[in-house]
Amino acid sequence: MPEEISNTVKSGPAGIAGSWPEHEDTTAKWFLISSIAYFFIVGIIAVTIAAKFVWPSLLGTVQYLTYGRLRPLHVNGMLFGWLLAADMGLTYYLVPRLCGVKLWSEKLGVATAALWNVIVLGAVVCLLMGWNQGLEYAELPLPLDVLVVVAWIMFGANIFMTIASRKYDQMYVSIWYIMGTILWTAFVYLTGNFAVLFATGTNQANLNWMYVHNAVGLIFTPVGLALAYYFIPKASNTPLYSHKLSMIGFWSLAFVYVWTGAHHMLHGPISQWLQTIAIAFSLMLLIPVWAVVYNFFATMKGQWHQLKDNVPLKFLMSGVVFYLLTCFQGPMHSLRSVNAIVSKTDWIPGHAHMAVLGAFSFFAIAGTYFMIPRVFRTRLFSESLGNWSFWFLMLGGLGFFTTLWLGGFWQGWQWNNPAIPFIDTVIALKPVWIVRFFSGILMFLGIVSFAYNIMATIIGAKDNPETAAA
Amino acid sequence: MLRKADTNFGFAIAAALIFFFIGGTLTTIVPPLVDKTWAKPFENSDPAKGPVGQLKPYTDVELKGRAIYVREGCWYCHTQQTRTLLADTKRSGWKGVDSPISTPDEFVYDSPHMFGTKRTGPDLSRVGGKYDTQWHRTHFRNPRDLVPGSIMPPFPWLVANQEEFTAVVAYLQTLGRAKHWRPDNDYEK
Repeated sequence: MPEEISNTVKSGPAGIAGSWPEHEDTTAKWFLISSIAYFFIVGIIAVTIAAKFVWPSLLGTVQYLTYGRLRPLHVNGMLFGWLLAADMGLTYYLVPRLCGVKLWSEKLGVATAALWNVIVLGAVVCLLMGWNQGLEYAELPLPLDVLVVVAWIMFGANIFMTIASRKYDQMYVSIWYIMGTILWTAFVYLTGNFAVLFATGTNQANLNWMYVHNAVGLIFTPVGLALAYYFIPKASNTPLYSHKLSMIGFWSLAFVYVWTGAHHMLHGPISQWLQTIAIAFSLMLLIPVWAVVYNFFATMKGQWHQLKDNVPLKFLMSGVVFYLLTCFQGPMHSLRSVNAIVSKTDWIPGHAHMAVLGAFSFFAIAGTYFMIPRVFRTRLFSESLGNWSFWFLMLGGLGFFTTLWLGGFWQGWQWNNPAIPFIDTVIALKPVWIVRFFSGILMFLGIVSFAYNIMATIIGAKDNPETAAA
Repeated sequence: MLRKADTNFGFAIAAALIFFFIGGTLTTIVPPLVDKTWAKPFENSDPAKGPVGQLKPYTDVELKGRAIYVREGCWYCHTQQTRTLLADTKRSGWKGVDSPISTPDEFVYDSPHMFGTKRTGPDLSRVGGKYDTQWHRTHFRNPRDLVPGSIMPPFPWLVANQEEFTAVVAYLQTLGRAKHWRPDNDYEK
């Protein structure tokens, strides 16, 4: 990594020399604050739907609170209200710093944050009313989809203009990932929310799963890795191990990920040859993942002791381990023999939560813990509460993932024995769902302690000024 | 060669898009052009080639029922695909007869598609004609009255609304019926 970028990432540009810009970070602050509020609110929904597995008649007579309406609210709320908004907020923070310039337009940024909140609140109303397009991850009705596109263009324009006016010639790896996210998301989102409307049946399902898969693979993965590539060296004050490995990781991701959508339909009503292509490319996903993970582990060499009392680093490195695991599971699920057991079972939510919560939310939480004290020029309200939030999320998460894997695998074996009536496979899973509910409560306590810690930091910022460089 | 993308803004953008579009085009636009069964409604009159039958478009009432199925999120817990797995054909079967697998030509009129990704409740790809209206009424009112141990939520507002209830049952009775495969001894006969 060239010297200047290395230094940028290691110690931060602000305050080193007189010519560094004074960052306002208004946009980043608004995105982060609203996303954390949704993290908390949607967390309540999450615990509620977990409870519905244990007490199926809970809230059963209220049409607007039935499982079929709360589940999409949970998924969309967590993906778009919390995670993507937090990722965008952190992007507004790190891009100006990596480019050595101010954000192109704070006004446009604040308008984007306001529009994003309109979309999320609109989504809450639509999903509770049952105005659902019927396509996974693309549930929101068309008018809201249009607003998402507008917001994404506003976000993309702001970030690209900032990058175009950068002071350093060299673009650090986080910048590529962010540019990739913005460009790919545009096409992935248009496919999943607009092109699908012109197709039916298997053709539509193929477009739908191209979107679903790449919403994770080409939206949350690259922006999440952009955060990890920035915050791991930053939080540990160590330069990134290898520039070459990060290039291999990025360009193989760009090429390989988009081919794999059909692995969601293995054994289903879709052409066998397309299934085989999806399987082959799913296995190739190991290349970008291992390149990235090796790079992060090698960066940490000799620095692991820092995990002891560095809250952001705890979240980051656990996130990397979860990323490695979830991206090992993914290709393995794509093998026909494994898929015949785990597909459509409770294993799958275990896998999906490890990706979105365990890996990418952990990255975003780490970034928030790192960024908020710096942009509000203060200290974190409580390091020990930060630790508690980590352990709640970690133990709750592990409880959730592992019980659903074990339960899902067992469920898949039972399904493959047609002598067992279906209802017996439901009854068998009840203990699993009870453990999942209590794990969910632990995770929710993690969210509460994280949100409280950040809120208290912001509110106490004026009384507790810290002049450390942002 | 890709080192150029480190410093060249335009080159980085172009390369990222080209890499993406190769796979994007080959896996979304090309497959329906190559495999014509994705768009051709099922029709077969030769028993030697498998189950006979014909896929018919939905009626207005069935479409209305389908919209309720979408609205209530039934598809989050019920898949609609009998996969190429022996166990699936047995579980979708009826009175000892295995169900045929689901093929793309049976779903040509489906939008949004309802294949599903999670099977919390049983698969519904061949449920049409298996249970009568009274069964569905009781089951929607409280699933546990008919299936002890079920975790399906109750849908009292569906049963209370005669028009919606009729529509959703009409839709459920269409599922999987393009192919004639079941023995002739269900409730309609």
